[in-house]
Amino acid sequence: MPLLQLIARRLLQLTGVLAGISLVTFLLLHMAPGDPARLLAGERASAETIAAIRSQYGLDLPLWRQFLTYLANLFSGDIGLSLRFQRPVSQLIEQFMWPTLFLTVYVICLAVPPTVALAILGARRPGGVADQIIRLVGIAGLTIPVFWLGIMMSRLFGVSLGWFPVSGYGAGFIGHLHHLFLPAVSTAIWLVPVLTQSLRAALIEKTTADFVTAARAQGATERQIFWQTMLPNAVLPTLNLLGVMVAFMIGGAIIVETVYAVPGLGTLMVNALLGRDYYVVQGLTLVFAVSTVLITLLVDLLSAFIDPRVRL
Amino acid sequence: MSRPETGKPPLLDVKDLTVSFGGFAAVKNVSFTLQPGEILGIVGESGSGKSVTCRAVMRLLTGAARAQGTVALDGQDLLALGEEELCAIRGRDIGMIFQNPASHLNPLRRIGQQVAAPMIRHLGIGKREGLLRAVKLLEDVGIHEPEKRARSYPHEFSGGMKQRAMIAAAIGCQPKLLIADEPTTALDVTVQARILELLKELNRKTGLAMILISHDLGVVADICSRVVVMRNGEVVEQGPIDDVINRPRHAYTRLLIESQPGRKSYGSVGSPDRGKSLLRVENLSVTFPAGQGLLGGNSFRALDGVDLEINTGETVGIVGESGSGKSTLARSIIRLNTPSGGAIRLDGQDVGALAGEALTAFRRRVQMVFQNPYDSLNPRLTIAEAVAEPIWRHGIADRKTAREEADALLEMVELPGSLRDRKPQQLSGGQCQRVGLARALALKPQLLIADEITSALDVTTQAQILELLVRLQRQRSLTLLYISHDLAVVSSLCQRVYVFKAGRIVEQGVAQQVLSTPRDPYTQALVGSLARLPTTQTIPLSQGVATHAT
Repeated sequence: MPLLQLIARRLLQLTGVLAGISLVTFLLLHMAPGDPARLLAGERASAETIAAIRSQYGLDLPLWRQFLTYLANLFSGDIGLSLRFQRPVSQLIEQFMWPTLFLTVYVICLAVPPTVALAILGARRPGGVADQIIRLVGIAGLTIPVFWLGIMMSRLFGVSLGWFPVSGYGAGFIGHLHHLFLPAVSTAIWLVPVLTQSLRAALIEKTTADFVTAARAQGATERQIFWQTMLPNAVLPTLNLLGVMVAFMIGGAIIVETVYAVPGLGTLMVNALLGRDYYVVQGLTLVFAVSTVLITLLVDLLSAFIDPRVRL
Repeated sequence: MSRPETGKPPLLDVKDLTVSFGGFAAVKNVSFTLQPGEILGIVGESGSGKSVTCRAVMRLLTGAARAQGTVALDGQDLLALGEEELCAIRGRDIGMIFQNPASHLNPLRRIGQQVAAPMIRHLGIGKREGLLRAVKLLEDVGIHEPEKRARSYPHEFSGGMKQRAMIAAAIGCQPKLLIADEPTTALDVTVQARILELLKELNRKTGLAMILISHDLGVVADICSRVVVMRNGEVVEQGPIDDVINRPRHAYTRLLIESQPGRKSYGSVGSPDRGKSLLRVENLSVTFPAGQGLLGGNSFRALDGVDLEINTGETVGIVGESGSGKSTLARSIIRLNTPSGGAIRLDGQDVGALAGEALTAFRRRVQMVFQNPYDSLNPRLTIAEAVAEPIWRHGIADRKTAREEADALLEMVELPGSLRDRKPQQLSGGQCQRVGLARALALKPQLLIADEITSALDVTTQAQILELLVRLQRQRSLTLLYISHDLAVVSSLCQRVYVFKAGRIVEQGVAQQVLSTPRDPYTQALVGSLARLPTTQTIPLSQGVATHAT
């Protein structure tokens, strides 16, 4: 089965990528300014105290031994202790992860249906009135900065109209949906135009494809041709783009989460950076990198499922 | 077979069909009829409107096209049908197959599903039943292990198998009419012969009427009983095939027949005095890495121990199907591919060891003309610039003198001076190939390698280019290495020929001899696959076709 072979091959490659990621995140902390021992001991600690802390934490060992220890800790799920919260970083990340994940899935659900609808509408008559309007509105959506849109929407829908809460995560599924609606919409507004342009271009290219002519010659109706032949053939580039965007959203939800005060990974990242909470930054970098790799893997597997030629 | 049965109403009656795109009429007042069980050929060059005619019959043209006239299938005017009625006829009453089977199959669906789709759509059968019938059809069109192959995807099929699958999909609903638009043009000659055989058999067994569109009169003569000759959107002549071929009334038909490869000898055979050896290829092997596995995978041998020799002033042909390694050989000679073993010697000097000044000198002595006339010219240069470029680049003359020389060269390849400032995309394929020739000759090479230089061109253009090539060769005492998949062209042009198969030479010898008495089974198959016109008025054609089909 070629599909299984592909999965096996990709997982093999994954270990190499993960090793690289762990090395980079490890070095990241060592290249950061400031001495962690001094940070722990405080500004006025004596040289002896700092030496004691260095040997206690193994900071006096050669770099490669430190890296091995770090790797061993990674394998046991230990990615350090937050200096500020005095809690394991893994616990922190787990706590802050869910709002971000929820937001990401929410954005996908909000963005994909309009993308498909608008792309079809635009591709039906390229250069027509509908196509032009979609493109213009899309460019407007792309150019409006997310933070400005966020502030405006929270003022209008949150403060003036009072329809949606302007901050927080809410309780329960419905509460989450309600609280995260504005952040999700603000993100979807720039995501939809990007995806629409990609899908529209692919659809237009496929309308003149030879196999579409062949399907028509075999008596397929336009509806059948669209759903069974054109769309599956046109969807791959957009799917890949969506993968990149989702990976970007998990790591890059900082603006939206800050504007709407969502307790997600973006908020955690900002606070950790401002508070010099190095181990949290390190742990988040690791999580972002791994999630990017996993999403890419997922997209590749989906592509291989749709297009048998990808399996080669 | 396929004799029109008189007295019966025609199956398809096309009357005064005119198709226009905007203000341009691609098809003008075309009329023809097709009897049940008949095979009708439509012949013409690219741009003659033959494909547009058939797409108009199927109503497959884009929205910009306007079709007028009547196209009656069993008395029903197809041009007047609504979308829904049309869908009920397409694939049910009329099946269609296309030139490039690779691009006409949906790459994402299994072959079996694609063959079954029209039957499921039109005959109201279930998916399981459809797949069962698809397997049966695949078997009927000559695909081995049909059950296994039905689960394959198009990219796992060879070109010939893809066309067989397309045929299976087209005949599943037992249509009354099959339209075949250049069905064998993208295929190798031996595959072409087998596909034509399959079409003939279908016609004989099921009485399926066909329209065969082709630029190749040889193919049409092989299978059709009547022929329509088109040019510039108009029908110039139509009638029974033997009348048209043996007693053509229109000058264009005569030109078309004259241009058939093998009809004409280009008279280059006149230099039997063997000059001294110019190029020797000794035990040449070229391998390409195949597969992208982590551990290298196995490599693919494109050339495997090839020995050949070209003498000064000689015209040597290389024949083989796609993948036989003939282009690899050409590319190796001009050092675009690196041999993995063996040597190429020009005047005894190892080409692979050349460097610096000696390599530049070698490049001047050996020049190549490429297959695709458009792709091999820089689209941003005018043709005069393109021809002048090698001259000043090699420091033979300054740019101004090079331009003057380019003008002389363009004149030599019979391109009017008014074209000199055009870009390649403003020229026809034949004109571009003349530019390619002029550019290759700009450095006054000794050896000219022509790699499939006419395979992208129409037959009449091909004949003109070949004539030009022979004239240039005589004038400039060129040595010519002519590479082609077309044995007929090679045999009419070359003195000696090498037949390539799977990276090896399977036969070599004097061209006429190889063609008339091939010794190797593969060469015999090649010669047997040639769809040629009967040479003179000796064989009454309908009879000839009939014996062929049994």
